[in-house]
Amino acid sequence: MIEFTNVSKTYPNGTEVLFNVNLHIGKEEFVFVVGPSGAGKTTLLKFVYRAEKPNAGKVIVDRVNVVDLESKQVPYLRRNIGVIFQDYKLLPRRTVFENVAFALRVMGAPRSTIRRKVMQALELVGMLRRATAFPEQLSGGEKQRACIARAIVNNPPILIADEPTGNLDPTTSWDIIQLLDKINKRNTTVIMATHNKSIVDDMKRRVVVLENGKIVRDQQLGSYHV
Amino acid sequence: MFSNLEFFLIEALRSFRRGALMSFVAVGTITVSLVIFGMFMLMILNLGNVIGNVSSKMDIAAYVDDDLSLEQAGAIQLKLAKITGVEKVDFVSRTEAWQNFKKEFGDSLMLDDLMRSNPLPHTFNIRVRTPDLLTTVAKQISRVDKISEVRYSGQLVDQIKSLVEAVRIGGAALVILISFATLLIVVNTIRLTVLARETDITIMKLVGATDTFVRWPFIIEGIIMGVLGGVCAFIILRLAYWAVVFRVAKALPFVPLMTDGWVLLVIYLSLIVGGTGLGMIGAYISVSRVLKAEE
Repeated sequence: MIEFTNVSKTYPNGTEVLFNVNLHIGKEEFVFVVGPSGAGKTTLLKFVYRAEKPNAGKVIVDRVNVVDLESKQVPYLRRNIGVIFQDYKLLPRRTVFENVAFALRVMGAPRSTIRRKVMQALELVGMLRRATAFPEQLSGGEKQRACIARAIVNNPPILIADEPTGNLDPTTSWDIIQLLDKINKRNTTVIMATHNKSIVDDMKRRVVVLENGKIVRDQQLGSYHV
Repeated sequence: MFSNLEFFLIEALRSFRRGALMSFVAVGTITVSLVIFGMFMLMILNLGNVIGNVSSKMDIAAYVDDDLSLEQAGAIQLKLAKITGVEKVDFVSRTEAWQNFKKEFGDSLMLDDLMRSNPLPHTFNIRVRTPDLLTTVAKQISRVDKISEVRYSGQLVDQIKSLVEAVRIGGAALVILISFATLLIVVNTIRLTVLARETDITIMKLVGATDTFVRWPFIIEGIIMGVLGGVCAFIILRLAYWAVVFRVAKALPFVPLMTDGWVLLVIYLSLIVGGTGLGMIGAYISVSRVLKAEE
């Protein structure tokens, strides 16, 4: 599904983020990417949805090398990748429904389809009764659920989660992880960058550890520390 | 596409209302810029109009001191009319000229007491086709039999010609300069409204919106601002110009200000069309910059 081959990244200011990273992620896998801040987790995830480009190497997503992708093609790549963030990135003056519908609007989906799909997504994340609320009226966990609903509303084969529990308390974090697990079981590849030790240890999924821009450990049924 | 258009319109109106203060500032800026632009257009056109008026009034006067019979006068008139560049020749006999003169000034001067005999010569008033022909035509007239003196304001014509030229070139340069300044101001104002929604653009791009899709609501918003600014400028300029024309007509009746409906309509329309275009271009440039930065 996703394959990084000899991927390196240096930012224009000279900061070296990733060195020669090789990583294969199979279909419907659930992978944790862990490591200290600045290890290059976010950059690695950004390569997948082409928010960043590596200086060297290949990033294959669904048989396409997205490094060579023309700018014009990037939107179509992103329609097949859901992304959720630590800071949710919800549009502030729109309701939950409108925020989720936005992702479908952008693809030019007809109104009836939008309504049906948004309702389904909101139901899946348990936000149906909050559909008309505005982001500022939501708790952190609810915001993240709305964000997840937006990410999966188009049933993308890949879901990228960049520290989705970074701003949430442990109980809520756990709820969100359960939700991501549920989405993974509906045939979606999930890649999640996190600092949350207890979640990684409890989930017992594949763990990729990044340190100083290199993969230092890649372990099935892994834990946060060796 | 149809459902998209509806979406774009709703998005544009929504953002216009949401950033009410910003939109107000943008419309105000567009209005002021266009009013200044329109003011210059009107000034330059009127200056050209006044000068054109003066130069079109320039005729050649040819005098004959000797007495002339009507036949002789007719023969000379015919000769003069045959000179190339001459549009019209009028003959005013010394008697006619004297009567006209007395009619005009007779009340204030005791002419009959001052002068026993008529001191005026026979006069041919000659109109040339274009002002630049004046000198050559005047030379040819002076060679015609019996013509004793030719008068025309040659130097003045040359000066006016170069003034017309200067106004035309300077005016064109000014219009270009002011158009450019207006474009810069409008682009930068709209850029502020776009930058205020950078997050929206980022999110749109993240969920897979194409650049075209992101641009449309902003362009429509720019058009709305431009049209509003153009209409405001049109109203202000129309009222102001009307007031100026009214005052000038009272105080300086000999200054011919333009009141030709068509020319003014073109200027007023150009404000609205210009405003719309500026709004559109401004929005396009601004969004493109943000989109470029997103890549």
